[in-house]
Amino acid sequence: MLLPPRNFAAELSFPISAPAAVCEKPSEIECEVINLFDQFRNPLLRYVLSFGLSVHDAEEVTQDVFLALFRHLQRGKSRRNLRGWIFRVAHNLGLKQRATNKRIQAALDDDSTIVHTKRDATPNPEEQMTSGQTLQRLRTVLRALPEQDRCCLSLRAEGLRYRDIAAALGISLGSVSLSLTRSLARLGSAEKGTRYAG
Amino acid sequence: MPDEEFHLPDHDLLRAVDGELPGSRARQIRAHLASCWVCRTRLAEIETTIADFVHVHRGTLDPQLPPAAGPRALLQSRLAQAAANSGQRFWPKFLQFFPPPGAAAYVGVALLLIAAGSALVIQHFAPLRSSPPVTQFESAAVPNPSLTPGATRPVSINDVCSIAHEEVVHDVPASLRQQVLHEYGIASARAQDYEIDFLIAPGLGGAEDIHNLWPEPYTLPTWNAHVKDALEEHLHQMVCQGNLDLHTAQRDISTDWIAAYKKYFHTERPLATSAMDEFKPTAQHSRRRFS
Repeated sequence: MLLPPRNFAAELSFPISAPAAVCEKPSEIECEVINLFDQFRNPLLRYVLSFGLSVHDAEEVTQDVFLALFRHLQRGKSRRNLRGWIFRVAHNLGLKQRATNKRIQAALDDDSTIVHTKRDATPNPEEQMTSGQTLQRLRTVLRALPEQDRCCLSLRAEGLRYRDIAAALGISLGSVSLSLTRSLARLGSAEKGTRYAG
Repeated sequence: MPDEEFHLPDHDLLRAVDGELPGSRARQIRAHLASCWVCRTRLAEIETTIADFVHVHRGTLDPQLPPAAGPRALLQSRLAQAAANSGQRFWPKFLQFFPPPGAAAYVGVALLLIAAGSALVIQHFAPLRSSPPVTQFESAAVPNPSLTPGATRPVSINDVCSIAHEEVVHDVPASLRQQVLHEYGIASARAQDYEIDFLIAPGLGGAEDIHNLWPEPYTLPTWNAHVKDALEEHLHQMVCQGNLDLHTAQRDISTDWIAAYKKYFHTERPLATSAMDEFKPTAQHSRRRFS
């Protein structure tokens, strides 16, 4: 018997800005992963973007994180501190993607036929309105911080507790505390400097 | 009364407000803060720095975040594919009908039966279980929705309508173009055979994102890139004239652009160029290419 052709477009199409309210037919693990995606996608994307990746690359890394989570749960592995696990995988994949991009960029630099695109670094009007001298100076100091300190700050800003940050970065609780204290002191000094200069 | 020579170190203040201290130490800190203005001032400075950092962090990154719906749909599709590949949907449901002690025996019998009829089973079910082969999409007029569900960028009607449709279109970067071709399994395709097209056109708020790009064949006789270009211009015009909601336009073109063409041009087949004129109030727009 000939089977009728499948309409994949109808089967797999989703509204663009209206996520499905419930999972239809998927397994419990798929639903669990989607729920975690709903919960952590934006914090995770922000964290990966903070590595300097493009939005496209950051989205791909985020997708890979949740696919890895699916396989992790499917294999019956530990569910302890899944938030820390998710950010740890994102951290590793984000660094890996950045390293890959650097290699590709180095190769492309030699190819004059490739069109290069660079993100417009000009602040948008809102940024121009809200970013004063202090915030500009904070940005400068932030860029100068060691990567681990920047990661600690970003993860803390995304609501991770110290133990989650320690798990994500593979460092001790004490190191997290010291890193945050040190970074805030440097940022605070920059703010003070700006105020006194102003 | 506090010891005037003693003030709390920053790391204790920070851990206290972050809730990272054990109960007894946290109580000591609170007691000290209640009586020491110097430490409270220092704590306020730290909090101010945190607030400024969060302002910078969110203010820099939040505007870059695209809507979650497209990536969410893509993840659902990929998870379903991963689950199908691993067979994890099937076995738990199958095994739940058997008591645990006898499960192994039943599974053994079932495997024998399956092996005996494997040729027929594979022949019958293979088309149902396999994912759509890439080649099925190579010559198709619609994108693979699991690879290209569509993605938008945050725009207002004013953003969309302040410039002509074709002026917001620009070349897709070569590296991204190559990624799209690679994703569709046609990395070695000739540039002149495919247009790397936006599923949701930039003029309708579509994002330059791999989830919104697909290789659209130039050579299809009916529903080809030229026809889709006409639809994009028409939808842009309807949105800017207030005859169509932007979100609806984005949804319709991303769900099934051919159905959208039929719906908005009131036709079952692509219109001839001359017939398009009744849908165009002003000068003709030039066609665009992304190759």
